[in-house]
Amino acid sequence: MTSSVVTSGLTKRFGPRLAVNAVDIDLPAGVVSGFVGPNGAGKTTTIQLLLGLCRPTSGTAEVLGRPISDPASYLGRVGALIEAPSFYPTLSGRRNLEVLTRLGRIDSGRISEVLAMVELSDRGNDFVRAYSLGMKQRLGVAAALLPDPELCILDEPTNGLDPAGIREMRSVIRGLSDRGISVFVSSHLLAEIEAICDHLVMIDNGRIVFQGGVDKLIDAQQSDIIASPEHPADVQALAEMCIAAGKPARAEQGEVHVQAPEDWAPELNRQAMAAGITLRGLTVRRASLEEAFFAITEGQPDENGEAG
Amino acid sequence: MFGAYSSEWIKLRRRAMLLWGLGGGLFFAVLATIFTVERAVKNPSLFPLRRGRITFAELELPTGLVHGVVDVSTLIGIVALCLFAGAFATEYSQGTLRNLLVREPRRAQLLTGKFLALATFIGVAVVLEIVVSCAVALLLAPGRGITTSAWTSSTGINDLLQATLHVFLASVGYGLLGAAAGVLLRSPGVAIGASVAYVIPVEAIIVGAIWSNGDRWLPGQLLSALAHGGTGDSSYHHSLITLAVYTVLIAVGTLAVFRRRDAS
Repeated sequence: MTSSVVTSGLTKRFGPRLAVNAVDIDLPAGVVSGFVGPNGAGKTTTIQLLLGLCRPTSGTAEVLGRPISDPASYLGRVGALIEAPSFYPTLSGRRNLEVLTRLGRIDSGRISEVLAMVELSDRGNDFVRAYSLGMKQRLGVAAALLPDPELCILDEPTNGLDPAGIREMRSVIRGLSDRGISVFVSSHLLAEIEAICDHLVMIDNGRIVFQGGVDKLIDAQQSDIIASPEHPADVQALAEMCIAAGKPARAEQGEVHVQAPEDWAPELNRQAMAAGITLRGLTVRRASLEEAFFAITEGQPDENGEAG
Repeated sequence: MFGAYSSEWIKLRRRAMLLWGLGGGLFFAVLATIFTVERAVKNPSLFPLRRGRITFAELELPTGLVHGVVDVSTLIGIVALCLFAGAFATEYSQGTLRNLLVREPRRAQLLTGKFLALATFIGVAVVLEIVVSCAVALLLAPGRGITTSAWTSSTGINDLLQATLHVFLASVGYGLLGAAAGVLLRSPGVAIGASVAYVIPVEAIIVGAIWSNGDRWLPGQLLSALAHGGTGDSSYHHSLITLAVYTVLIAVGTLAVFRRRDAS
């Protein structure tokens, strides 16, 4: 599989602060890649480096096969939404996009197309100062789509959106992927990323702590089996039975939570039946991306080399 | 560069830009022309000349038509300075510079295209200010008994064109100072405040209290001399050549900062 973005030892220092620390990223082309990490982890700085907005202190990177030292060679094929969407408040949405089409020598016919894609056609002639934050965010995505990009880099695109807006944004991003556009989307909302991404890059304190498929990450985490005995009096016995089988377990509100792989559930059912315990429920709860993130980042050294 | 030039024009056509960029200079130019014509003195022996007053004889010279505009050329230049400083600094403070750099990563082209668009806008403004103030002068002068035949002579037209060029060049020079302040300081309020403060009181204090010969070398003083087509202290050619050197230094320095600095 070809790569849309490859970085090697990419580092950015602002004075004494190491914002991005020897980052190695390899994003597959044609998929939605998520970029997650807490606020201040280095996501926006990494994106700015990829867009040629700031210069790396050290390291190299390629976007669509071209070096970031020559952004003019690839930015014509890249769309970007960087942090909070910034526009000229006393120009209409359409005029704001026209500023960018003229600057980038993009066919002005694209303006109506992208406004329709983000469902702003009917408000395109209104001043941006009259837009809600969600509308500005959608206009930002429209601006990113103007060059009909091969790669779309979206920094926190769901910021400020209401639940309906978030769902629309998911659908827009999925639509881009369906059209073969590589998408690199950053967010600190892990559930959002989990819902839309195929590939994942996790950053914490400027360091990459994981990259790969979302399923691969979650599968690597221990799942919980939740067993509910028919009679509450059997809860303690069931928990002790699991512990005796070498699986950490705890009794909680009439249920037993067992830390075990998913495929141990049938064995648990058999053992319970053999012990005369009837189960009225047996479910497997997979770890969420959030739990996986915290499992990985706990104990990671910070930029000063101290464990968090 | 044409993309940057063309896209800047969309912003320049905003109502606020037209109001302040064109209206500001036009207001000063027309006001100065009205004052110059209405307060001109026919017989200075009867009415001693005070600040801002000239005689009919001076006003009836070929240069009289644009006397008022040239007198307020510094104010017209300050309008240009504010316009340029605001246009550049706002891109930083509003965060729109990042969008522009994604679509035009060649920073020298972006900066140059934007500057040239602003310079063209100022050119249009200066021409408009001079045309309107000439019309006002030609309307008012006969009513006061001022002879205007020299204004429309070939010498008068030549002087008018030269004055237009001088005021335009000086305004672009003020604009360059504003652009440099905008790029360096990145805040419209700070950039406009600092550059206006430098051009008006700071230079005046330097020349008045510290360096009397400074009016031959300080950029604001030279721009004023250029707009007047040269003064007794600083000839037109001296002003033009010295300002050309300043222009190269300021343009290269501003471009270097703009190209090297992170747009984060």
